[in-house]
Amino acid sequence: MTKVLMKGNEAIAEAAIKAGCRAYFCYPITPQSEVAEYMAKRMPEVDGVFLQGESEVGVGNMLFGAAATGRRVFSTSSSPGISLMQESISYMAGAQLPVVLVNIMRGGPGLGGILPAQSDYFQSVKGGGHGDYRLLVLAPSTIQEAVDLMMLSFHLADKYRNPVMMIGDGMIGQMMEPVEFPDKYEEPPLPDKPWALTGAAGRKAQVVKSLFLDPIMLEKNSWLLHEKYEQMKLNETRFELYKVNPKNEILIISYGTMARICQTAIDELEEHGISVGLFRPVSLFPFPEQQLLKAATQKGVKAVLTVEMSTAQMHEDVQRIVMGKTPTEFFGRTGGVVPSPQEVIDQVMGLLDKYPGKKKAQHSASKSKKAQGK
Amino acid sequence: MEVELKISAPILLPRDIIVIVGSYGSGKSEVAVNLARHLQLSQTEPVSIADLDIVNPYFRSREAIKVLNKLKVRSIVPEGGQFYADLPIILPSIKGAIENKQGKLILDVGGDDAGAKVLSSLTDAFRPDGYDMLMVINANRPFTSNMAGCIKMMNQIEAASRLKFTGLISNTHLMEHTTSETIELGLKLCGEVSGETSLPVRFVSAEQRVISTMNIEQIGHPVLVLDRLLLKPWEKPGQT
Repeated sequence: MTKVLMKGNEAIAEAAIKAGCRAYFCYPITPQSEVAEYMAKRMPEVDGVFLQGESEVGVGNMLFGAAATGRRVFSTSSSPGISLMQESISYMAGAQLPVVLVNIMRGGPGLGGILPAQSDYFQSVKGGGHGDYRLLVLAPSTIQEAVDLMMLSFHLADKYRNPVMMIGDGMIGQMMEPVEFPDKYEEPPLPDKPWALTGAAGRKAQVVKSLFLDPIMLEKNSWLLHEKYEQMKLNETRFELYKVNPKNEILIISYGTMARICQTAIDELEEHGISVGLFRPVSLFPFPEQQLLKAATQKGVKAVLTVEMSTAQMHEDVQRIVMGKTPTEFFGRTGGVVPSPQEVIDQVMGLLDKYPGKKKAQHSASKSKKAQGK
Repeated sequence: MEVELKISAPILLPRDIIVIVGSYGSGKSEVAVNLARHLQLSQTEPVSIADLDIVNPYFRSREAIKVLNKLKVRSIVPEGGQFYADLPIILPSIKGAIENKQGKLILDVGGDDAGAKVLSSLTDAFRPDGYDMLMVINANRPFTSNMAGCIKMMNQIEAASRLKFTGLISNTHLMEHTTSETIELGLKLCGEVSGETSLPVRFVSAEQRVISTMNIEQIGHPVLVLDRLLLKPWEKPGQT
């Protein structure tokens, strides 16, 4: 199929339709409202449903009800809206319902601002709602990857009967890039959905719920969920390496569009003879732990630098995984401020000063020696 | 850039107010800031640009304010914290600029009919023959990829803005994947829309990188050479 030029939000919407989603619920919020606008135009054309909720709380419950029918259901929101949905996300995880969510993150906490941020890492990866559950979390860095991961999200939600969330900072929603869609989304076969509520004609009535008053049954359900998360860890870790090689002096860990800014910085550092690699997790849960540890403990790597648009959220996981085997450092901007490639370069140069190792490089790439890390 | 501008026919925009509209993502803001720069460099009247985008939160013409200031183009944009807002802010100075125009005024309007609606609140300030309203067409955008889609959107924009179109801008591109074929595809679509609506194609906009591979005479319209000013944080000027 030929390339079209799309805004991330539109591409995400079209990808959901291509993956067979015909039920979309949303309450508009910047910077993701174009998903709803696009769905309002497109869903009637494909015999689908778009219903605007009275709030994200309502949307969450619409998702729960629609997902219980076994159909592919979907919602998008931005940080404060995702916060409002947390109760129903926990319910859907508890009731083992497949549902796909997208968070186009803006600056928080609270009402915050409308510019790009990555400060919902904890919320997405560590729960957000109550109880022993996890979301499968994916983080694209380009619009094409957002399209591909969007379609994959529907597959994984069905495969694991679990909510899947794709997170992108505001730029993923707002920027335009050329994208390609497959004519038809090809996916491996999935199990049937005998649990789905499709009308009880000819069979016994059944119930989809997350209520287990018997503690033994509730515990059993939680261990069942746990077992699924262990399976995800085995089968669903995704990551990408950029210029990771034995010459690396520094390893940067970054996800989403922030990783692309780091790539520009890495290219420029390379021109000055400084070798830096990038480890970009694509799945944030399950996190590619073993692969990160391997890249972080390469022989020449003097330090590991996490770069995020937050005040060090993913960095906690990086520290946990690297276990002090290599020094771990952090640089971030937040609140809607996007670090420039030069800021990342300055951080790397600062680290080479701090961890000189055997030979000290000529630090001509640094414009400002002042460390800007908080 | 100067060479290209000399051999291309001049861009003719005799009216002083130039309203840039189109589907969102068609490239209106990039065209508007480049047009402001072109007018500033190619004629003697002062040039102003007003950012009227009240629907889009990112990548608005206001982000090119530094470049425009340097060229002494007057920018009319919200200030302070409101600079970043996605609120329907219509500065009183915009209506003032339309009524008491000084030189050329470019209005960069938000996308689709939703974005163009802002113009209806300013309609009284426009004299019927005092403005050009130009439709930016990018044939690679989902809702304006064929003539029917373009005409439908143009009708919606006219109804929402209460203004009338006077011309078209061919701005078909695929960002860094743009080739001469991309430009030709856009020209073909603009030709069809022009035939149907009797509106002239005022100019074709494209990056130097692509235009330099094409025969300017074959394009058959004036060319606005784009220098991308609204960049993503990982892009460098002149890199694409």
